[in-house]
This record gives sequence, structure tokens and C-alpha cells, in this order.
Amino acid sequence: MIRVTDLMKSHDKFPILNGVSLTVKRGEFAAIIGPSGGGKSTLLRCINGLEPFQGGAIAVGDDLNLQGGTLPSKETLLHLRRRVGFVFQQFNLFPHMTALQNVMSGPVYSLGLAKAGAEAKAKALLDRVGLSARMHARPAELSGGQQQRVAIARALAVNPSAILFDEPTSALDPQMAAEVLAVIRDLARDGDRTTIVVTHDMDFAAKAQTLFVMEAGRVLWSGPPGERGNGETP
Amino acid sequence: MIDVRRQFALLLVLFLPAVAAAQEKPEELRWGTDPTGGAPYIFQKDGSPEYVGFEVEIAEYLAAKIGRQPVMVSGDWSNNPQQLEKSRDVEKGMDIILNGYELRKDMCEKYAVTRPYYIYRLALLARKDNQDLLGWTDLLPREGRKKKTVCVLGASVAEQYIKNTFPQGVDLSSNADVANVLKLVNDRRLDATVQDNPAATYFTEEYPDLQIAGELVNPGYYVIYYRKGDAALGKALDDAIASGVRDGTFERILRKYGLWNGDQERLHYWLEKAWPPFDVEAEKDKNAERINPWPRMMRELLRAALVTIKLSFASFPLAMLLGLLVALVRVYGPWWLAFPAGLYVEVIRGTPLLLQLFMVFYLLPTVVPGLGEVLTPFVAGVVGLAINYSAYEAENYRAGLQAIPRGQMEAALALGMTPSTAIRRVIVPQAVRIVIPPVTNDFIALFKDTSACSVILVTELTRKYNELFNFNRDYIVELAFITAGLYLLMSYPLALVARSLERRMGAGKGGHR
Repeated sequence: MIRVTDLMKSHDKFPILNGVSLTVKRGEFAAIIGPSGGGKSTLLRCINGLEPFQGGAIAVGDDLNLQGGTLPSKETLLHLRRRVGFVFQQFNLFPHMTALQNVMSGPVYSLGLAKAGAEAKAKALLDRVGLSARMHARPAELSGGQQQRVAIARALAVNPSAILFDEPTSALDPQMAAEVLAVIRDLARDGDRTTIVVTHDMDFAAKAQTLFVMEAGRVLWSGPPGERGNGETP
Repeated sequence: MIDVRRQFALLLVLFLPAVAAAQEKPEELRWGTDPTGGAPYIFQKDGSPEYVGFEVEIAEYLAAKIGRQPVMVSGDWSNNPQQLEKSRDVEKGMDIILNGYELRKDMCEKYAVTRPYYIYRLALLARKDNQDLLGWTDLLPREGRKKKTVCVLGASVAEQYIKNTFPQGVDLSSNADVANVLKLVNDRRLDATVQDNPAATYFTEEYPDLQIAGELVNPGYYVIYYRKGDAALGKALDDAIASGVRDGTFERILRKYGLWNGDQERLHYWLEKAWPPFDVEAEKDKNAERINPWPRMMRELLRAALVTIKLSFASFPLAMLLGLLVALVRVYGPWWLAFPAGLYVEVIRGTPLLLQLFMVFYLLPTVVPGLGEVLTPFVAGVVGLAINYSAYEAENYRAGLQAIPRGQMEAALALGMTPSTAIRRVIVPQAVRIVIPPVTNDFIALFKDTSACSVILVTELTRKYNELFNFNRDYIVELAFITAGLYLLMSYPLALVARSLERRMGAGKGGHR
């Protein structure tokens, strides 16, 4: 469960998040849409502890809490990030590692797992995103869509109970975007992993269980996608 | 008519003083010397800017005697003879060199030489409490004992003497600054030094813990060298020396500095004999018949090149490591660490390598007692080079670290890595790849900068070149080209390795958008 309460964040007095509240239940597949500059990406980054915020609170599960205006402890941040995976718009794969090494990097360097075990699991994940044939390729040798699928496998490798996608297909052409979205939808069907996707793709957002519409640092509308009228498109 | 003559006479009277004034300023006698040789030859007393010393007085006496104005021209002792190959009108041009230059056959082949003005002997200087070094025989190799470390003035007869007489038992190094060498012996960082008796006598007074170990050996002559074309000057100087010896002026000067001894009576003897006491032309022919010196010289050069390689490969990895640490602290550390790290870089970059080597080798052990044992010339060279280059490497790495996109750190943190793990596993490996070209460049530069270590008694390639050409002045050009060739031969493969490394590592680049 991820619960955001009255989140306030500004940058140089310019408000970015202006009292955002939302709750995504465990295992739920949520999509956030809205115009650029509405604070969607910033919200995700706050949930993962990549950005500090001035007011409000974020709770992940029963025991992890971030309070506005206070710096979370190192332990809290580490636990938070191991529980909440993150997939970036620009992939951010590690260019000096192969696809397989990228996927293994979390289990080995964050969780301290043995390489042999991590490798078996990483291979399975690459297989799941359809890239087992390219596991020894370096990022530079992969297409954008392939890179993003490796990035998804990498995020999953640390067994997060939630995964955040920050405009995962914005940097991709439609063909590749479709591949990546198919993978995300497939993963969202997994039992109890919470999924939040920030996206511009309306068709994709329509397949989420819950839809949040953000604009000017606030949640304007939330509910099942089917209940939202066409005229309300921001 | 009478009037005209009177007027002419008047004119003459008026003009004469002007003519005389024009002649009053006599020609200069530009005498080449090296003041770092120090007392009692030529030195500054009690902070006065005036140079004194027995050679200053002899030069002034000789100049006065031949009606010239003495002008001291200072240069490097072992390189001053080269100045005689150029015109006297160049900057630092010299007419003669006068500074404890010994009578040497090889020198006589190239330059004209005067009669001697002093007869010296070699003295072995060691600490009084050094029971292992009481005389010359202690320089012989002995089973199960470490080689004695002995430092001498480069290109001196003392250097030649030790090399020929004790080729096995002595770890020989050379340096131009006698005062520094004496201090190292006094501080137990060298076992001994071999000096001419004038210097030895002076320094045993300066350093009461030092003594002349054993007897004085190998008498030789201090002479003045000049150009072979300057026969008239040479004749005038010889006459002036003869009168200085005969009228007691030299004795008075030498007594003043405590240098008069029985040996000096021989100065009279040599005024009557043929000089130099060997036939230069015959020696030249004999030289030609002598065995080919190249195998020996090449062996010595290659051995010195090995020292250069060792210095480079020992110091550069240290410089890289230190530089990386400094860069990490500057980029990721808290301000109270980043600030001194920045200061370190600026101070090290802003001061000369030569000075840093001096500080590490000569000053550091006086500030930190006990360090003298550890800081042998080689170790001090490695430390000095590593510190100097660490500043440049730090800047390379800093640029490399800052070139890594922010998303890399965020991706690593989002996977749950600690910041330090992220730096170690994600950021640094990428930064290292980026900086391979500038770092390799610096390695090649360091390779050549190892030559600076010759000032702290390391006999590396450049030092060896200096030493060899001083005793083989006929091969000076060949030796210079071979030495340069050796440097090139060593640094070019490095450039090739770097290029292939760059290509191989380059496969990991890209992927950033």
C-alpha cells in the first residue's frame, strides 16, 4: 500500500506539488495522467526518496514513513528503495555492464546475494521481458525498447513490493513503446505487486484499475478509468 | 707656426684624459664557476652578497696580473666546460673555467690548460661513530654486508676514482650540491662522501661529527681550462700563476683558508717542468686504441633506464589512487573534506616538482625524525612523483566523475545501493574509462619527469647520461641521441598500450542518451 497525504513540494518558491493525496492499494495497478509540468514525475520521485519535500507525508506499507520537511534516515531510504522499484524515462542502464550484469546489480550490490543465485534469477527475468537472447549485450548495442525492458527486469530483480514507472515509453517510438507497455501490463497482473505508471498514453492508462488525473500540482480526479467522461480530458 | 704647434699641444693636453678614460676600463676576464660547490672554494660569508673563497682571490689576483677585470660567471659545474665550446660573447660566456677543475687527460684533449694553482688529494668523509667505515678498505665488498652508500660530486675525479677502485662494494650516486651531500652523511642517510681535501677540511669543521676516514689519496692538480685558440691568454695566465707561486701570494691566500700543506711545495717544481705532465696527442692516439667504450656505456645506460622504468611504474599507480581519492572527496565529500582536498590540488599543481622532491628527500626527514631511514633516494623519488602527479590525476578524475549523468547515480540509489556502493560499482568504473586518454598522457609525462629525481641522488637515465658524457666528451652527441632514443623507446609502447586500452574500454561507453 502506498498512501500520499497532502504532499507539498516547491522549488525556489515555485510550487510543484500543492497538496497531493492519493492511495494505491497493495497489488493495485494505477496510472497517473495529466499535462506536462503537472507534477506527476516529481510525485513518483518523492515516493522513492529521490526528492525531498516540504510538507505532508508518504507511507509505504505499514512501517515506512516519510515526513515532509525532515530528512529520512539512511536506513529508511535503503528500505524504501528496496521495497519500491523505479523505472526511468531515460532507462539509465549502467553502460559498462552487460544486460545480465545490469539485472544482477541490484541483488548483488544492494542485497548482497551470491552471484550464482542472482544470475539464475536475472536470466529468468530477462526471459520474462523477452531478452534472454541478448543478455550479454551492452546497453549501447540494444535498441531503446530493449534497454527499457532490461531496466524493468533490473528493477524487478530486487523483489520490490511496488514498482514505479516514470513515463517509461516517452523516449521510444510507437512500435517499441507497444512492446514495453505489453511487458508492463503483463507484470501488473502479478499477484500482489503494486504498480504505478505515469504516462501520456491514454489507451494504456485506460487499462489501469485506478486512474489519477493530475494538474498544477494537485489530483483533479481519481477513480476507475471507465467512470471518467470524455469531456474531462485535461 | 709656433702658435700652431702650441695649439696642437694644447689640444693634446685637453684630449689625453679622455683617451685615458676610454682605456681605463680594461677587458673582462670572464671566469666560469659553480658557487654551489661552496666553501672554501667560493661562498658567501655570513649572509653577505659578496662571494669569497680561495678561488675568488686567485681569480682576482690573476686578472689583476694580466690587466683584466675579473667577472664571475656562474653555471653548473659539470656543464661549464661546454661553455668553452661557444663564443665568449654569448650570454654566460666564459674565457676560462676555474673551480676545482682537475687536470684530466680527456679534458686536455678538448681544452687548453694552465699550470696548477693547487694540489689536492681525495678524502673519504664519514661519521666519527661509524665503526664500519674507518678507511678506504671498508669500501671493498665483504660477504654478508650491505653496500656502502657513497655520494660524490658528479663528473669529478672522485666519482671516477670510486667507480674504478671500488666497482663492487659501493652504491655510488652523484650530486652537484656538496653541502646537501655532507648533510646527508651527517644525518646518517649516506655512509660516506669522497671530496677533495679543501672541501673535506672545511666540512669537518662545519660538522664536528664527521671525520676524514683514513689517509688522503690520489693527488691531483687544480688547473684552469681555456679555449685552445686563446694561446696568448694562456701564456699570460701561466706567467701570472708562476709569479703568484714564486712571490708567495698563493701561499698567503691558501694559508688564509687553512689549505696550505706540504703538497703545495710541488707547485714550484711544476713551474720548471713540461706541462701538462703527459703528451696530449700521444694520449689521444692511445685513446683510439683503447677498447671500445660503447658496450660498457650501453650497459650502464640500460641499467639506468631500468631505474627510470621502476620509478615510473612504482609512482604512477600511487598517483592514480591518491588522485582518485582526492577527486572523490572533492565531488562527493562534505565541505570540510572537499575544501582541503581542493587546496591540496592547487598547492601541488602550483609548485614545481623539483622543489617537492627536495622537500620530500631533504626536508621531510628533518621534520619527522626516523623518516630518513625509510626515505632512500628511490623511495623519496617515488613519493615525490606520486604526490606531484596525484594533483593532476585528481583533476582528471574530477572531470570524469562530473561527466557521468545524474541518472546513473539515481538508478543505482533506486536499486537500493548505498551511496558509497553506487560510487564504487557504478560511477567510478565509468569515470575511469572516460579519463583513460588524459591519464595515459600523464603517465608518459611522468615517465620523462622521472629525470628530476637525479637531484635527489637517484641514478636514472638522465643522470647517467650526464655522468657518461662528462668522462666521454667525444661522444657527447651520440650519447644524447641514444638517451633520447631510449626515452622514446620506452614511452612509445606506452602510447600504443593506451590506445588499445582506450579502444577496448570504449566498448563499454555509450548508452547514455
